[in-house]
Amino acid sequence: MNEPVPDFPRIGLLGFGTMGAGIAQVFAASGRSVLVLETGSERLESGFAAVSAFLEEGIARGKTTADEKSAVLGRIAGTTSVAELGCVDAVLEAVTEDPGTKQALLARVAAVVTEHTPILSNTSALSVTELAAALPNPERVAGLHFFNPAPLMRTVEVVRALQTEQALIDRLVALVGTLAGKNAAVVKDRPGFLVNALLMPYLNDVVQAYDEELATAADIDLAIELGLGHKIGPLRMLDMIGLDVHLHATTAAYTATLDPAYAPPPLLRQLVAAGRLGDKTGHGFHNRCHSREDD
Amino acid sequence: MNNENHTVAVLGAGTMGAGIATVTARAGYRTILFDIDEHNLRRGIGTVHGFFDKSVRLGKLDADDGRAAKEALSGTTELAELGPCTVLIEAVVEDLAVKTELFGRLDGIIAESALLHTNTSTLSVTGIASGSRYPERVVGTHYCNPAPLMKLVELADGRHTAGWAHRSTAEFLASLAKTAVVTEDRPGFIVNRFLIPWENSCIRALESGLGSKEAIDAAVPGALGQPMGPFRLLDIVGMDIHQQVATRLYEQLRDPRFFPPPMVDRMVSAGDLGRKTGRGFYEYDDTRLFGS
Repeated sequence: MNEPVPDFPRIGLLGFGTMGAGIAQVFAASGRSVLVLETGSERLESGFAAVSAFLEEGIARGKTTADEKSAVLGRIAGTTSVAELGCVDAVLEAVTEDPGTKQALLARVAAVVTEHTPILSNTSALSVTELAAALPNPERVAGLHFFNPAPLMRTVEVVRALQTEQALIDRLVALVGTLAGKNAAVVKDRPGFLVNALLMPYLNDVVQAYDEELATAADIDLAIELGLGHKIGPLRMLDMIGLDVHLHATTAAYTATLDPAYAPPPLLRQLVAAGRLGDKTGHGFHNRCHSREDD
Repeated sequence: MNNENHTVAVLGAGTMGAGIATVTARAGYRTILFDIDEHNLRRGIGTVHGFFDKSVRLGKLDADDGRAAKEALSGTTELAELGPCTVLIEAVVEDLAVKTELFGRLDGIIAESALLHTNTSTLSVTGIASGSRYPERVVGTHYCNPAPLMKLVELADGRHTAGWAHRSTAEFLASLAKTAVVTEDRPGFIVNRFLIPWENSCIRALESGLGSKEAIDAAVPGALGQPMGPFRLLDIVGMDIHQQVATRLYEQLRDPRFFPPPMVDRMVSAGDLGRKTGRGFYEYDDTRLFGS
């Protein structure tokens, strides 16, 4: 290929879960090589399987080709050794939303990359400024926040920590510009950044109104889909996001702001306590098994 | 419902009334559009005819069907002429006193089996039904604007609505090819109940420097699967309409999330209502809405 070499040709990605797999696919599809760090080979395998399955579905829908699929997978490599990340051009972490885990891992990574290698976080719930403060040269730290599913969602938030240097923000905006169909939004390091800061109170409000029996889950979603043209209604969206994920994010925002709009509604806690996490457990606001039998 | 055996009245020939009359006439119901003002009535009928003419021109409706739909519609300024109607759909100004008074005047006119629908968006169905001697026959049916294009109707029973009236209303809406969702009789039903605090929170985010209007409009739909950002949507809805709906919901709920932020008042005072005045959050050369 004669295309110019993109900025950040080698991405080091930490974590191959749902977000990691989606992000790996997005970067690989842009022609970059992606080295994914995981804790064990099973987790690496399941990450590769997730990327493969996503692309397979894309082929079935005519969105991509078998050649493209193997090219994308060919640009993704896995490792369980932090030391192997020494040669990447930027590191993006997408590990579990636990400050201790993220800080410990980023400290180990900072010790093997160069002192100017950008260190990026896909966190949605933590303060990027606080993550940066624990690392050497915090001016090379920023947030790069993808939405789930990363290959489909157009918006990517470029989060400016208090320490982030402007040159890195500019490079990240340019980087997002090279990812197919993606638009960068430069945002402040506020709880929820921009999109989730607006989204979480809305979702909490819907959960509370549902608990107060305003209407059935199906009718609430249908009203929002048909009345406002949203692709998916709010309760279906929560089932997709995962109720535990939303509970964690909105609790973090509430803790950071004490704004009652972020306070998790009681029903949300109860559904999570009952193990009804949404699509991943087959049971959330919409009971997938049930509705199939009913329909 | 057998469409040929029913005559529908639509009361109020404004945007919503004309839109609903378009839907019922198109579905084959004899439809009488009522307005107390002759000029409003003529304009409303003109709107319905214009919709059908355009549909024929665009090839979405064949000429015979267009002619039949236009012939199904008549107009009157005399309430007494609505006596033979079996479904009466109220779409007059969003004022509780006007609506209850109108329902009271219908008491002596309507047939015993007639259904009374109210297209209120922000008032209580129960409150409106209190003006009628027959609250068991009053049902909330909230259509979306533009009614001929939007499939959704919110169906809300008042406290005294009878089960048969609810079921007949659901059948009637199905005969209009509308999709009904059932909601409690609470301020804003479902769509406005969630849209108004959402739009207000976006306006507050803009005022608090969370992002520019362009940034918010670009970021939010790309992450949430919405057809457009909150400020583009407000420009289409109209800031005056947003202010009215938000204020009415706030007055009933006393929940500050519904209260229109100060920026709304400033924009309305300045006449920056959105697309219809050529300027809202954005500037527009073309003030037409929905390509009409």
